[in-house]
Amino acid sequence: MQRREFLGFSIAAGLSGAGLPGCRDSAPLRFGILPWVGYEPLYLARDFNWLPETVALVPGASAKESMEGLLSGALDGAALTLDETLRVLSKGIELVVVVVTDVSVGADVLMVRPEITELAALKGKRVAVELNGVSGIMLLKLLRVAGLDSNDVTKVDLPVSEHAGAWSRGEVEASVCYEPTASVIENSGGVRLFDSSDIPETIFDVLVVTRTAAKKNARAVRDLVSGHFAGLRHLVRSMHDSVYRIATRQGISPDEVREALASVMLPDLAANQRYLSPAGRIETTAGLLSRLMLAEGMIDQSPRIERLSDPSFLPAGDS
Amino acid sequence: MAIRRYLLFAMGLVAIAPAHADESLILGVFAYRPDHLLQERYQHLTDYLSRATGIQIKLDVLNQEKMDRAIAANRVDFFLTNPSHFLLIRSERSLTGALATLVRRSDQWSTASLGGVIITRSGRDDIEQLADLRDKTIASPGLHFLGGYQAPVLELLDAGIDIRRVNLIRFLGTHDRVVRSVLSGDVDVGFIGSSILEQLASEDPELLSQVKVLNRQRLTGFPYAVSTRLYPEWPLVALPHVNERTVRKVASALFAIEPDDEVALSVGIAGFSPPADYQSVEHLARTLRVPPYDQMPELDWVDALQQYWIWVLTIMVLVLLLVAASLWLGRSKRQLAAEQRRLHQLIRGWPQAALLIRGGRFSDTNRASIDLLRYSSRELLIGRDLADISAEYQPDGQVSRQKMAPMLARVSAGQVEQCEWVLSRSDGAQIWIELSLAPVHMEDEPEALILCSLYDITRRKQGEQRRRLAASVFEYAREAIFITDKHGIVIDANDAYLAITGHPRIQAIGRMPPLPVDEGSSIFANARAQGFWSGEFASRRATGESIILSVTLSSVRGDDGKISHFVGIFSDISRLKEQERKLRLMAHYDALTGMPNRVLFADRLQQAMALTRRQGGKLAVVYIDLDEFKPVNDAFGHEAGDQLLVEIAARMRSELRAEDTLARLGGDEFASIVMNVKDISSLESLLMRFLTRLAEPVWVADHSVEVSASIGYTLFPQAEDLDGDQLLRQADQAMYQAKQQGRNRYVRFSSPSS
Repeated sequence: MQRREFLGFSIAAGLSGAGLPGCRDSAPLRFGILPWVGYEPLYLARDFNWLPETVALVPGASAKESMEGLLSGALDGAALTLDETLRVLSKGIELVVVVVTDVSVGADVLMVRPEITELAALKGKRVAVELNGVSGIMLLKLLRVAGLDSNDVTKVDLPVSEHAGAWSRGEVEASVCYEPTASVIENSGGVRLFDSSDIPETIFDVLVVTRTAAKKNARAVRDLVSGHFAGLRHLVRSMHDSVYRIATRQGISPDEVREALASVMLPDLAANQRYLSPAGRIETTAGLLSRLMLAEGMIDQSPRIERLSDPSFLPAGDS
Repeated sequence: MAIRRYLLFAMGLVAIAPAHADESLILGVFAYRPDHLLQERYQHLTDYLSRATGIQIKLDVLNQEKMDRAIAANRVDFFLTNPSHFLLIRSERSLTGALATLVRRSDQWSTASLGGVIITRSGRDDIEQLADLRDKTIASPGLHFLGGYQAPVLELLDAGIDIRRVNLIRFLGTHDRVVRSVLSGDVDVGFIGSSILEQLASEDPELLSQVKVLNRQRLTGFPYAVSTRLYPEWPLVALPHVNERTVRKVASALFAIEPDDEVALSVGIAGFSPPADYQSVEHLARTLRVPPYDQMPELDWVDALQQYWIWVLTIMVLVLLLVAASLWLGRSKRQLAAEQRRLHQLIRGWPQAALLIRGGRFSDTNRASIDLLRYSSRELLIGRDLADISAEYQPDGQVSRQKMAPMLARVSAGQVEQCEWVLSRSDGAQIWIELSLAPVHMEDEPEALILCSLYDITRRKQGEQRRRLAASVFEYAREAIFITDKHGIVIDANDAYLAITGHPRIQAIGRMPPLPVDEGSSIFANARAQGFWSGEFASRRATGESIILSVTLSSVRGDDGKISHFVGIFSDISRLKEQERKLRLMAHYDALTGMPNRVLFADRLQQAMALTRRQGGKLAVVYIDLDEFKPVNDAFGHEAGDQLLVEIAARMRSELRAEDTLARLGGDEFASIVMNVKDISSLESLLMRFLTRLAEPVWVADHSVEVSASIGYTLFPQAEDLDGDQLLRQADQAMYQAKQQGRNRYVRFSSPSS
């Protein structure tokens, strides 16, 4: 199970039941999306009809679905984390990062039993981790920070949504997870020892499209990107409104939405220009990540990183 | 909590003490609901603030108009109003920002957001969604209400309805009145702020079942029914004239309010939060173009250019194209006008008859046409068509109007037509013209414009007819006709010429015509001098057969008066001449013997006498009559008689010389003229030979016949001048004497007197 799917299933079902407008076009850009605070601008854009019919959002329950959709050709693009992007890329599907939706600054955390007070103490402990998702990357990163080897901990590979159960049953001493699992564990006596704010600008959520779609359906890609920024503008400018809408969609309280929003940075247009520029933050991070993932056997071959990000679909000016 | 409240209260008590009576501030609160209600509630807030800050703070509940005036006059120091109204005041007073934002409370939730509620009566089944609001009457508290006006207007605008254009909107001042008029049915729909409905419902629980909320938003954690997106709650604002220290005190007192504090509970709020970002409200006002953003945003042209450069470029290119096209069109139009003037001028000025046909009818014409057709003015011709001025039938038998239609159609399609045509002039006379019809319109022009040019060829046609006649004469004449150049070489000849001469055409042309050989070129000289020459002469056909031709040669003079050609006519008169010869023979010769007859004899005698007179010498006239001829005739028939005569004549002739003449005067009588008689003896020896020769037997009709002759003769000249008749009579008389003297003898005439 991949990240960003907590609550995902029921909501996705609700959304698909409600029906998606804008699928009438003969060849709209089929874009896989999941419930995640970083992707909320796209949902807002859809709700306010700021997404033209050239873009068809395909809500999914997990990133796995989105990745499979990209691999099978059922999707032309998807909202993924950068490491997920690299996984797809290494399987031979050429992808282009067109938007950085958010950068995790605390959303991904390491929850530990109170007796573990420093990272080094993790040695020999049972750590719940979802190896095949961003949780796995997070673990690799924090082990590197801790100066520990990958084999120094006992990895219990579990989907993040099951971490809380494992925790309460005492099966693990630590969990690499994210909200809301993190809060659940915290309420059960867990302690936040490490979070993604300690490894800034590492965990990115991005919107990707296939290279083919970027070439053949550039207009739809531009519409998608514009829609994201229109939604982002509403989210930021009308925070008084959007928190309630996100809370409604995610089934949490507005205050929890505020907290969730606080754990991510939502880069604006200018920041996106910076991130996506050639040899910018996205490409360098992707390079580092891919080496790490290759070393850990998460991917079989080194993906091509050059020209991974493309800022050319970003709207010309923030109006 | 209780401790904290106590502390605050204590602080309030302490703070009251140093309060100066003159230092009194006024908090203006916008009366969004009935005054007394607000007065009652917010009195708690001012009381709290007075306590907390130690400054006397009074409450003034004002409607928007009064608040505007109070603020303008600095009669209030702080005010609490809705965000839309705040923006308006801020723009007028250049205020900085809000001090704090109200946090409203509900039973379990508090919120710093507000929105608009669109309500209608529960029974209104015809109003279920936003689209149903078209053409409904709407009540709103006022223009500068956020939830009560601006937020719903935006929501409807997004749904495609600009209610400010299409709906009747009543502004009633407060939310309570809006709800009342919706309930009473005065209006179909009402706009109110969020939380109003719930506040009213706390007083009248029935209310919620009496109204329904349209476009209800599902917003988890928002305590009120709402129809629109949300905006920040009311700001509390300090005016610039209030000193900073006081502002700080008030602000800290405001932020100190906890949701469970008595003041919060009694005012019905959860407290105040740090000032919210009112950008979204600004954006709303800008989108709706309501004050203070009712002016068109001034767009920096550089920004505009950057944003719309493709459009600008496109439009510029289009404008350039348009200008270029207009210029080009203008020039074309001028050229066209000039062309048309030129065409008009061309037709008017053309010396030959020309008409312009537009849509099948004459639209323009010139002087020459009018003259040609004998019309008195141009106007009489304009509007007519070609058939009107044509003869009813054309020479080929077609009706003019029927013949004209397909012709005009072809010309309209772009062809040029040329033909001969017969026109009927206004005086009824028919004239031949050569008609040229040419299209002068462009292919894409809907109406055909045809130039019709008329050239009078009546004279030519008449000439042609004459020539054709002449040619037929030339061709069909039985007489040979030839034309030569001035040197007499044949350049053309008709079939009769070829037939008569027997030469094929190629041999005939380029040669001299048959002319009398001996006269030669003098014939041409004659024809030159006198205009013609005529004569008859013998010639030969190509086969060598001789013919006699009668020729008349005439000279033809060119325009310069010099002879350019000769025209000759001849006919074959061979037969005629033969006939003539025969006739002449019949007149002068005896048919039986071929000897001259009496007429020719007389003629010859005349000539011989004339010759003798001129040359001297003598001639003798001898009269011979056969003896006993009648019995031969009777015994053997006329045939035998005739044979006898022929033989006798031949015998006598053989005795004569060439210059002598022997003639048969009739029956068995002959006469002879003997020229140059030297003496009587030679003459008499001749006569003697005659007698001898005649006496010889003649074989006729299988019988030998013997005859004799009695001969009388006389000589010339004699003493008296005698004519031929007298001489012959003398000879006759002498013959008669010979008869009397016993026949078969000759006797010289002797005058009875002698």
